[in-house]
Amino acid sequence: MRWEVFKQDAPGRPHQAVGSVHGADAEHALLNARHVFGRRPSAVSVWVVPADRVFSRTAEELEAEAGRGDGTAAPAPAGAARRLFHVFRKASHRRSMTFADHVLDVEAADHASALAEALARASGEPALAWWVVAADDVARSDPADAPSWWEPARDKTYRQQSYYGTVAPQRAREAGR
Amino acid sequence: MSASAGGPAAAPGAATPLSAEVRAALIERLTAMADDELLLGHRDSEWTGHGPLLEEDIALANLAQDEIGHAALWYGLRQALDGSDPDALAFRRDPDGFRSSLLVELPRGDWAFTMLRQFLFDCYEAEALPRLARSAYAPLAEAAAKAHREELFHLRHAGLWVRRLGLGTAESRARATRALDELWAALGGLLAPLPGDALLEAEGVLPDWGAVAEATIARARRALAEASIDPGFDTEVPPASSREAVSEHRRELLGTMQSVARADPEAVAW
Repeated sequence: MRWEVFKQDAPGRPHQAVGSVHGADAEHALLNARHVFGRRPSAVSVWVVPADRVFSRTAEELEAEAGRGDGTAAPAPAGAARRLFHVFRKASHRRSMTFADHVLDVEAADHASALAEALARASGEPALAWWVVAADDVARSDPADAPSWWEPARDKTYRQQSYYGTVAPQRAREAGR
Repeated sequence: MSASAGGPAAAPGAATPLSAEVRAALIERLTAMADDELLLGHRDSEWTGHGPLLEEDIALANLAQDEIGHAALWYGLRQALDGSDPDALAFRRDPDGFRSSLLVELPRGDWAFTMLRQFLFDCYEAEALPRLARSAYAPLAEAAAKAHREELFHLRHAGLWVRRLGLGTAESRARATRALDELWAALGGLLAPLPGDALLEAEGVLPDWGAVAEATIARARRALAEASIDPGFDTEVPPASSREAVSEHRRELLGTMQSVARADPEAVAW
């Protein structure tokens, strides 16, 4: 199954959606997320969430729903238990390596009401898309594993392929012949 | 066993020159450790483009880079002792000059074989590296502490697969058991002390290597039992094979690994 991955680059920074991995279960998905997204550059934490447990709405979808009068704020059943939700927002097209940033947590009865609450609080801040996940659907890397999961990356040099420059020296050599 | 001969019990750190005997023994040990990491890294790298799923393909490429990076650590320590060039040792040394163990030389096999081999090697490193990190030879202690951090993550990854293979399907368990059968016989060669190790132990440069071997076996047996992988044979420390014997697998591996470097010995970049 597929899992969405949220990576945190440094303490105090938001977890950001960076892509997805396959994983047979949460532990496998976490390890794959570390392999694929955390080797370098540096990270301090990853969360993984089953992709089919992510509630998403684009700005266009919200607009269409509002136009039809079937907005996301459909009342939850009376007495429904309130749970904690993480809300992520994509604010611009500028950062192509990440999708949505974790912007706030809300308690709500379901995903849709959590988004309605987030929209009310966001009051016109730019948003191209929203993702909502229930906190208890999230598997999180263990801070105790930081020395073996994240710290080695800090000593490694991240090099673009152009660093190795094998084509230019080869051409220079051939030209010199 | 050679006792530390005369004089105060000087720790052979950076400030204290090593005796010629200790230096020679340490070069042998570092070469064995580096060759094991390099060849295991190469075998792991053979999965690039062939992994069972994209994420595991990337994972194996990561492991390969880590192991080759650790080889560079050990070759670097040797270079500080004898001025040898790590690239020359890796790419221009003949098979009979290598001191790798059969465990890392065996062909990559199937996914179960690769994961079981990685798991056994990671069990060994999980026991050897923290002990090496207390070496009286400071450069070795520092390098071991550095490598140990990554090896804990390797063990986590390999351990996850050992459990899944053992507890998965009848076929996955059969493959894991078959792989273990071949690998366990080669484990003794990885764990066996070298002739010069006793001197290094007496000098505090190496930990008790017999204890490393026993702890490695105990750790592996525990995890295998939890994964319901019954090796079906006695899991005492298996007899050692020689690191000096050149296996057909070492020859084949080096033939591939060194082919580019040997094709153009003057190359400055490739």
